[in-house]
Amino acid sequence: MASSGISFREVSHTYRPPRGQPVLALDRVSLEVEDGEFVALLGPSGCGKSTLLYLLGGFLPVESGSIAVAGKPVVAPGPDRGIVFQNFALYPWKTVKNNILYGLNKRPLPRAVRQERARELIELVHLTGFEDSYPAQLSGGMKQRVAIARTLATDPAILLMDEPFGALDAQTRALMHEELLAIIGRSPKTVVFVTHDVREAVYLADRVAVMSARPGRIKEIVDTRFGGDKTAVTTTPEFAETVEHLWRLVRDEAILAQGGRVG
Amino acid sequence: MRDALLRSASVVALLLLWEVCARAHLVSDFLLPSFSVSLARLYHDIVAGDALLGIGLTLYRAFTGFALAAVGGVAIGILIARVPLMRWFLDPLVSVGLPMPKIAFLPIFVLWFGVFDEAKILMVAFSAIFPVIVAAAAAADGVDRTLLWSAQSLGAGRQALLWQIVLRAALPQIFTGLQVAMPIALIVAIIAEMQMGGEGLGGAIMQSMRFADSPGVFAGILAIAVVGAALVRGLEVLRRRLLVWHPEGER
Amino acid sequence: MRAVALRYAPLLLLAALWEAAPRLGLVDAETLPPLSAVARALVGLAADGSLALNGWSSLRNLAAGLGLGIAVGAALGLTMAWYRPMEIVFNPLVRILYPLPRSALIPVMILWFGLGAKSKIAAVFLGSLLPVVLGAFNGARGVEPVLIWSALAAGTSRRAALWEVVLPAAMPEILAGIRNALALSFILLVASEFLIGQRGMGYLISFLGEGGNYDGMFAGVLVVSLVGFLADRLYLGLMGWALRWRE
Repeated sequence: MASSGISFREVSHTYRPPRGQPVLALDRVSLEVEDGEFVALLGPSGCGKSTLLYLLGGFLPVESGSIAVAGKPVVAPGPDRGIVFQNFALYPWKTVKNNILYGLNKRPLPRAVRQERARELIELVHLTGFEDSYPAQLSGGMKQRVAIARTLATDPAILLMDEPFGALDAQTRALMHEELLAIIGRSPKTVVFVTHDVREAVYLADRVAVMSARPGRIKEIVDTRFGGDKTAVTTTPEFAETVEHLWRLVRDEAILAQGGRVG
Repeated sequence: MRDALLRSASVVALLLLWEVCARAHLVSDFLLPSFSVSLARLYHDIVAGDALLGIGLTLYRAFTGFALAAVGGVAIGILIARVPLMRWFLDPLVSVGLPMPKIAFLPIFVLWFGVFDEAKILMVAFSAIFPVIVAAAAAADGVDRTLLWSAQSLGAGRQALLWQIVLRAALPQIFTGLQVAMPIALIVAIIAEMQMGGEGLGGAIMQSMRFADSPGVFAGILAIAVVGAALVRGLEVLRRRLLVWHPEGER
Repeated sequence: MRAVALRYAPLLLLAALWEAAPRLGLVDAETLPPLSAVARALVGLAADGSLALNGWSSLRNLAAGLGLGIAVGAALGLTMAWYRPMEIVFNPLVRILYPLPRSALIPVMILWFGLGAKSKIAAVFLGSLLPVVLGAFNGARGVEPVLIWSALAAGTSRRAALWEVVLPAAMPEILAGIRNALALSFILLVASEFLIGQRGMGYLISFLGEGGNYDGMFAGVLVVSLVGFLADRLYLGLMGWALRWRE
């Protein structure tokens, strides 16, 4: 697998609504993500973190600045950058199995191999037995697991996640954190993870990039690699301090975003 | 405002295309007389002929039938919603009647009422009443219970309840049903005229066709298009006036 | 089963009324023949082949016009929603046709195609076209962008995404539009058969009426009405099955 370092250089983006004034969403964002790193983009609503993700995914055109993956500029969406959305984006007319097969069917593999791979993925996300269910019959957590399995089907080197657990309740979210880490542990990927939840960012990521209110800039990058047992890390004082620090940063930006003054 | 301009611009563009194609004689003049020829013919028929009379007659039949369907439909619809026996009896009749091609009943109406205005008006009413009934029943059904209860606790009697609360609250949906029924009324009036003859837009178009008078046919089509569009627009404007209080939001 | 019987009992009541009223002299038996006489006439029409001949003609023309309307309408609506140039070109056409009662165009069809099956098919086509175009257009427009993005990220080309994602996602609205088109196609078929004649159930009904065979005329109307109703119900069942993935 080729090296998949991601490089954002002076990326700006202007949002042009059909009616009304254009708005500067991102202002010269620069960021380097190493191969295999888990980076979280943290910030208040509207700070452009999702926009940055969509630019990386190739869904929005890069008009100013440059984004490169493994040295090559991003021009269009592709299977090397798998994406998982907050509202799952499952195809409601396909069963769980067919949703997952959708990505697989794009690859030139013999049918038996594709079926087997789909079965493996379903097992990986603990959904064995639900292959023939429709998304409408699944809970939120289950739907997100299907979405993740579907994205993994194309074996992307980079995983883009746009507030993937935002629509889930707290307990399910905690379970999904563990599942995600387990999956990545098994086959390492570069992950860019967008969230507004500070604890989630600190827990999951190697580094957290805090973004300012609109227009989005990188305000600060904090290292969140804590040594030792992942399950016990949340009780360490280091963890709490980092969360506190980041929370204050985000809070200031959230107040600014609402038009208030930082006290 | 901008939308309205765009809309008219696209229509104008199409009319221009029509004119150009016709002038270029892409097909014979018989098959496709130009827009200007058809328009001139319509103008001539209005000014020098009795086209206005014909248009008026068609509108008279369509409107009368529509009015009957509106009053009858709302009454029956509300009856269905509020009186269980009526609901049991009428519901299957309406749900079977709705998808039936009621135009097939035209010869029956001719048998019963002859070939003059009564038959046409009643045919229109029969066709148009179904969507009104469905809308009125659904609307009356859906009236917020809390509206009714608060009125009752304020001392409203049954009659007052009906008129003031149910009708008002149900008005938006009922009006939508009326907006569906109006084009039906126009179509049925025209088909009835085409089949049964007599003065009127439908009869005039068929007459022109029989005489292979294609400008006459297209003039008639233009007239119908204008009338149809005017009716639809008129209802939209009326809706906005009547339902000023309704939070339907801007279009 | 019992609930169904109870629900449709009023129809039986109506049938009983239909039988009783003319027999009891409540209405003139000439203008409203009793149900049994109508039934007998229906059997007669079936026996002498006129039902089969005209029924088949109607069915064929309906299917042809409707099928064409669905195919062209869906393709048009989808491509209009997906490719801006298509929308610009065809939008005025849709805008003009929408408020115009398509049955008014039947005389034009006669001018162009003469007094035959082609005109009837053209009329049915025109009637069924617009509801399907609108359904496909609105359905395609309403597809969540993230569904399309997911597909693009999986490696689907933009063109393929139209077939693989937009079409299935727009299905509910397309199928609703087809239901409308079905009802309109019946109306246009009968109307064009009244006006053009030669063959078909509409022609049969008016022919029998003009010939004074009112029993037969009522039988014809009954058949057409029932077929229209059944077609709608069958279609609803089909629609339910096709959309069984919905909650």
